[in-house]
Amino acid sequence: MRSFVKTFAAEIVKQHKNYFYSKTIYISLFLWPLFSFITTYYSFQVFDLSKSKVPYITAENVVVYLLLGYMCMSLFRCLVQSAWRFSFERFHGTLELIFLSPSNRAAVLLGNAVASLFESVIITVVFTVFMLVLKSEALFFKLLPAVIVFLLVIGMAVVWGMFLNSLFLFSRDTNFLFTVLEEPMEIFSGVKVPIILFPLWAKMIAAIFPLTYAIEAVRRVMLYGSSLYEIRIYLLIGILIMIALLIAIMIILVIVEKHIRVTGNITLF
Amino acid sequence: MDFKVLRGTLKKELLTKYRAYPMDFFIGNVLTGFYTILGAYMMYKLLFERNMNSSFANLTGTSDYLSYVLVGSLTYLFLVRTCLNVSRSLITELREGTLESLMLAPFRRVEYFLGNMLVQTLTTTMEVMISVLVAIPFGISFQYIHIGSFLLAIVVALYSFFGISMVLGCVMLFTRDTYISQNTLFAFVFLVCGITFPSEYLPAWLRTIADFIPITGVVTLIRNSVLLGKGISEQSTIWINTLLISTVYVLIGFILMQKCEEVALEKIHS
Repeated sequence: MRSFVKTFAAEIVKQHKNYFYSKTIYISLFLWPLFSFITTYYSFQVFDLSKSKVPYITAENVVVYLLLGYMCMSLFRCLVQSAWRFSFERFHGTLELIFLSPSNRAAVLLGNAVASLFESVIITVVFTVFMLVLKSEALFFKLLPAVIVFLLVIGMAVVWGMFLNSLFLFSRDTNFLFTVLEEPMEIFSGVKVPIILFPLWAKMIAAIFPLTYAIEAVRRVMLYGSSLYEIRIYLLIGILIMIALLIAIMIILVIVEKHIRVTGNITLF
Repeated sequence: MDFKVLRGTLKKELLTKYRAYPMDFFIGNVLTGFYTILGAYMMYKLLFERNMNSSFANLTGTSDYLSYVLVGSLTYLFLVRTCLNVSRSLITELREGTLESLMLAPFRRVEYFLGNMLVQTLTTTMEVMISVLVAIPFGISFQYIHIGSFLLAIVVALYSFFGISMVLGCVMLFTRDTYISQNTLFAFVFLVCGITFPSEYLPAWLRTIADFIPITGVVTLIRNSVLLGKGISEQSTIWINTLLISTVYVLIGFILMQKCEEVALEKIHS
């Protein structure tokens, strides 16, 4: 246990130093969410907002509706990006060193994911400030459910990031995983279009992504003021997803290690 | 001039893609086009049931939102791919450890970058064609397309993409960062250049900035020729403006690249 904590803490410190060595990281933290949010806001303007099929999307609160979706997505994206940056350890040869050391692999992955939590918290703060400045009257939330939902979303994001990280250990040629897992997440998890309106096939795809449940729970709590009891199903699903992903990660780590032993290569392909 | 470097780069890049990154090469290229159209379709059909704001048709001259977004997104995709390949070519060599040996060889920069661009243009064209095929069942139509004008627009587009990626490439090589510079540029272009909504919705100062990015002109040209069927002479000012701005980018790119290469080689092992 002690060595697990040690590895975990070391990885956090390492990654944090790695990301924040340059001030440009703040561009990605503040500017990108802002740009993509403004773009979406304007791309909603081409539609007749008074005719939307969902009661809570009106010209008045479309901003808050979108902001909540974007906040959850940015949290997930932070972790996905941490996974992407971790894949460079393979190019740089540090992955090999990690695997040569007796450090716990899961602790490394966890540390890497948790290291980007700091970024996530900054993003959440930025979005919250946006919302309060733009439309504080559209928010009806109770403090306790809001905090719990926030923690759940962070937890799911961390495990999701770890899961991607473990997949990235296989090869250099893993960028396609972004195309398969990252881009559809934005379309299908209800960031822009609520899941209720989806046809069945799209709902089935949406069900795969943890972000779907995160966004739905956050919107219910923040826009309707739902209590914890009312969103219990989302909390339960969220926790189940986390457990399932953790089990998957453990299995993948074993397979990866076997795969590496066969190919004898942790740096190239 | 037997284009040795160009052919060499072409061969090397295609082989690298095919052998080292086969999953990315096939899966990545096929799926992105599909997502583009799907995202737009969901907003249009499911959320707003085809109810457009009346200002959209007034500003764009068409009420066909899906085609509008498809053309915009595919142009954007082309820009992104060009930047990812051309701008990142030298810094990728730096990362993979081949820059030093590359620099030892007396190679022509223009041919090297054009070779990279050619590979990218081939693969992206494939991607775009797949997207258009996928888009047909969603109700896309190109019945008004003006072929001559469209072909010319493509040439201008490639030229301007090349200019932008040269400048971006310099920034990347100089700062040794690809992540921040490229994504900031992409997010900004996506916002101001009228990719998914007419740029007239934006505040005036943002539109002024957009005028200095050739993509704004390129998207307009391609849309005008594909969706509205405008001929070459009808839009001569946009042609000339876009070409002029792109030329400025190309020139700045090549002049800066010389300086940046020196800096990159100095810092190669630091």
